[in-house]
Amino acid sequence: MSLALLYCFYAKAQYAGYMLLTNSTAFKEQFTAASQKTNTIQSDFVQEKNLSMISEKIVSKGKFWFKKENSVRMEYNHPFIYLMILNNGKVYIKDAQKENTVAAGSNKLFRQINNIMIDCMKGSALDNPDFTARIFEGRQTFLIELSPAAKSLKDLFQHINIIVDKKDYTVAMIEMYEPGGDNTIIHFINKQLNATIPDALFTIH
Amino acid sequence: MQRFRMRYLPFISFFVILLSCSSAYKKMQKIPGDAGCVQKFKPQFQGAVYNTKVDVVGNHLSGLLVIKTMPDSSIRMVFSNQMGFKFFDFEFSRDSGFKVHYILKQMDKKAVITTLRKDFELVLMYHTPIADAYLLKNKTDFYYAFPQEKGINYYITDSACTELKGLERASKRKAVVQAIMLDYSNGLPDSIGITHKNFNFTIGLKLLKK
Repeated sequence: MSLALLYCFYAKAQYAGYMLLTNSTAFKEQFTAASQKTNTIQSDFVQEKNLSMISEKIVSKGKFWFKKENSVRMEYNHPFIYLMILNNGKVYIKDAQKENTVAAGSNKLFRQINNIMIDCMKGSALDNPDFTARIFEGRQTFLIELSPAAKSLKDLFQHINIIVDKKDYTVAMIEMYEPGGDNTIIHFINKQLNATIPDALFTIH
Repeated sequence: MQRFRMRYLPFISFFVILLSCSSAYKKMQKIPGDAGCVQKFKPQFQGAVYNTKVDVVGNHLSGLLVIKTMPDSSIRMVFSNQMGFKFFDFEFSRDSGFKVHYILKQMDKKAVITTLRKDFELVLMYHTPIADAYLLKNKTDFYYAFPQEKGINYYITDSACTELKGLERASKRKAVVQAIMLDYSNGLPDSIGITHKNFNFTIGLKLLKK
């Protein structure tokens, strides 16, 4: 009992304004139901890379598209140009100079990152065997905390938090925390659900 | 794309010129001079972010390199891709020390780390004690030579030491690495290029944020 209390206190203290959900069945049902109704997401994003050890921050912005089942397009347009497309297990990257297609299956790291991004959007993050999940409830959002299970992922991430809007169960933020204290936070803003998105946006040549 | 090519074209041609005059240190004339004059080209990184491209034996990698002088005068270099995944975090300390705070497992090889360390030390103008330095001269340029633990770092200027024409990391006979730092503004070069002579490895930096 006292251990359970201690655990609750720890969980409460971990994220201000959030309480650990001891029974997450209802959340999972609603999250899955909402995800099933969402076929496309279109939004702007703001990404913050925080280099805590050297007190530096890099902010970048761009546009984001998701289309079921497995297509994501992230187009960075400020302060640099960078395009990444994930489409059915393939990763396409284009920077200012070169384009590169990587078969995500051929690189474990790419595959895992690919899975995380798709899972976040599809609502299947809770089922990813590479992570253990805990769910916290706040006033306007839920927080899904994903802790990596595999050693290769533990080297990259301490944990990943997905902040989900209560009003429509879509992803508002993805926070990736690294073991060294740095983190990357992606805010999704001006979201539009189920707008028509042409397949051509995800074409990998 | 076109703009990018235009931007990098001058320094590509510069490399070609440099290439044609390499391995000629022995033919150069040793002359007296003040090695301290190149110190003014030492870049002042106060938290600069460079758009970075790396091409290594057919593989292309791009990302952002943050270079920052810390309060204790050490310099931190953090390289991550555009999405925030970190490749490495190096510290160059004031007393010539070097520390790897982080490196991606796939890159964690002694040869990779040593190569990057030496390349960046050349650019940071780290080991440039004036006492050991000497000056060489060819037809048009002055080579300020700073002996390293292994090899020599050269900083190449015009005869008046007003323009940094190039940098070289060399063995006794020939250049191993050639680099340039272009378009300084407030002590910060706008473009930095590093090219290895022994294998296909280039690093290109373009200033994104001061």
